[in-house]
Amino acid sequence: MPYGWVGTVLRVDLTNGRVSREPLNLDWARQFLGGRGLGTKYLYEEIDPRCDPLGPENKVIFATGPLTGTYAPTGGRYMVLCKSPLTDAIACSNSGGYWGPELKFAGYDMVILEGKAPRPVYIWVYNDHVEIRDASHVWGKDTAQTEDILRSETDPQARVAGIGPAGENLCRVACVINDKGRAAGRSGVGAAMGAKNVKAIVVRGTGAVPVADPATFSQLVMESLQVINQAPVTAHALRGLGTASTVGFTNSVGILPTRNFQQGQFEQAQPITGQALAQTMLVRNKGCYSCPIGCARVTEIRGPSKWQGKGEGPEYETIFGLGSDCGVGDLAAVLYANYLCNLWAMDTISAGGTIATAMELAEKGYIPPEDLAELPFELKFGNADAVVGCLELMTFRKGKFGNLLAEGGYRLAEYYGHPELFMGVKKQDFAAYDPRGAKGMGLGYATSNRGACHLRGYTMSVEWFAPPNQRLDPFSIEGKAQAQKAFQDKAACEDSSGICTFTTFALPPDKLCALYNAATGENLSLEEWNLAGERIWTLERMFNLRAGLGRKDDTLPPRMLKEPLTGGAVQGQVVELEPMLDEYYRVRGWDEEGRPLPETLARLGLA
Amino acid sequence: MRMILSHPEKCVACHLCEGACSFRHENVFAPAKTRIWVFDFVEDQVYGAFTCFHCADAPCLANCPTYAIARDPQTGQVFVNDDKCIGCKMCLVACPFGVMGFHLDKHVAQNCDLCGGDPQCVKACVYGALEFAEVEPLPWEERMAQLETPATV
Repeated sequence: MPYGWVGTVLRVDLTNGRVSREPLNLDWARQFLGGRGLGTKYLYEEIDPRCDPLGPENKVIFATGPLTGTYAPTGGRYMVLCKSPLTDAIACSNSGGYWGPELKFAGYDMVILEGKAPRPVYIWVYNDHVEIRDASHVWGKDTAQTEDILRSETDPQARVAGIGPAGENLCRVACVINDKGRAAGRSGVGAAMGAKNVKAIVVRGTGAVPVADPATFSQLVMESLQVINQAPVTAHALRGLGTASTVGFTNSVGILPTRNFQQGQFEQAQPITGQALAQTMLVRNKGCYSCPIGCARVTEIRGPSKWQGKGEGPEYETIFGLGSDCGVGDLAAVLYANYLCNLWAMDTISAGGTIATAMELAEKGYIPPEDLAELPFELKFGNADAVVGCLELMTFRKGKFGNLLAEGGYRLAEYYGHPELFMGVKKQDFAAYDPRGAKGMGLGYATSNRGACHLRGYTMSVEWFAPPNQRLDPFSIEGKAQAQKAFQDKAACEDSSGICTFTTFALPPDKLCALYNAATGENLSLEEWNLAGERIWTLERMFNLRAGLGRKDDTLPPRMLKEPLTGGAVQGQVVELEPMLDEYYRVRGWDEEGRPLPETLARLGLA
Repeated sequence: MRMILSHPEKCVACHLCEGACSFRHENVFAPAKTRIWVFDFVEDQVYGAFTCFHCADAPCLANCPTYAIARDPQTGQVFVNDDKCIGCKMCLVACPFGVMGFHLDKHVAQNCDLCGGDPQCVKACVYGALEFAEVEPLPWEERMAQLETPATV
């Protein structure tokens, strides 16, 4: 009997309406740790990376890690993997909440959705009982209504992960939402699920997750909890102010992307900082399953405003995407837009990036007046009505412009002949750190396997947040290739194990590796652990290479390479990408086109 | 006596206590077999963790048809005697707080046993939402009234 795992993969053939179970491939689990790595392996073996991401040949995998469902700190994550409808590269979006553990308690490490259901369905999993049920009555409903309805007809304690109208309408920035407010956000995984006609997976489980060495495991967990409860980032910044704690800092140094990355400082940032949020609209904190950090914000809009509501959020990236990037400094509007994204299941980063791109296109006069004439708002930076209005247009694909927005920022900008105004990589929008002021992040965005992403290689940690004597100069390109590789491999391990990457602001990798060993009964050294991270990263890269991506896609928009930032400490900076990229490929053991060399594959056991 | 009191205003609904409880008692992570529960109604902004209050007039004890539930005269703890429990769940219905549990495999009721004096849920709760407190058992209605009083922070 495996430990850390419950040992079973649930396979749902939607085309034929058949459900089957198979043992988890434990050899793969050993090689690729779990979650992100293991899901990638399944995808890599089972689908053609050149397939149409919205076609039946794509698969959508819901994967947990060996620590998911245990009480390891933040051991509650699951990941959604598929070929991305947004980037055409591999997609792996990570979410917390309660859904992932519930899946394991029901007895499954992974769910693989295959084919395409002839009509809208949802999947009801209650331990051994698995049913594909009609979902026509919830099709079109938002995530909150859907969860309420599906719980009422299954089990009041069931956990629901599913899509909203955005995913149904194949909006390429749609996400999967579980527990009403937690998002597997990026790369359009919601559209991939929508293309399969699957509204939701509803899970209730009464089983157990065993670990190999309970005594060691409990000792490690109790120690880790104390460490996390005392570390400044986890116990104070994140718990006190949420990820929004970052707004004040990035704005002060000049890397808070503003108005589609035209500026790095936002003059109206004060009302949308973490402090302002905590003082005005924060109701209480929330933690995902097994989380000792509790960074999630339960909020409601207070005070006189045309925007009203309550829900979860916003994160830092949301405040950027729906706030500063669109020039909006009205916290109530940002919260309202965030709630809409939760209800309609849209990625707040990419939705915001798409709208910001549209705003710049409009302001520069690149959108013909007749296309703008149909809009019930003025498409310009700072107009919160335009942000909310665009969200509605893109979710429901209203009109010509709504259809263009729903394709994401890159395709929108390309349609109007100015792809250079799209701020992102591999058709996926940047997150909230201007890479000109943190060049390691620039390299990270460029090389991230799922398109621009801050979580794949968070060198911000060493470029800005580390104590001064341990810091890497954010404006230098020196050492960034090595740093980026190390952070990328580290994040691959974290994601795959089933914990939240925020844990590692307090816990060193050896602690995580020890938790993994105690849970699974493996005996990985730290070196082998890091090697597994590199193996996962390289396999993702191989998927992308087979999908037709390569060096040409590891790049940044011209604005990042040529237009210097103004204002703040980062005045005059651009990203010198090419030399970093050359070095990065060398450090990774890849050729100059970014293809892993045979000896690299052999070293990683991927040959 | 000592028992586990809740401070729901500090709870973040992370369910760490449930994991700690089932791990201590079952050696696995199985919230279905926990003896402490996080009631999470995130949308209503309401959540908190609760377990047995060992009520002075314990309704579970009073309603048990087989006298399987008793109070330890030394510690004051209310406990279930597995050998006498017939799994009828009368106690689950009777408990005003919904904190009597049921072991699905053994088919018996189970409540908080304070981990023999070292409650793991309290250890795991980094938020201070659970407290291993020295208090006397209250009649359930008084306890309920206390819980319903808004916390003053």
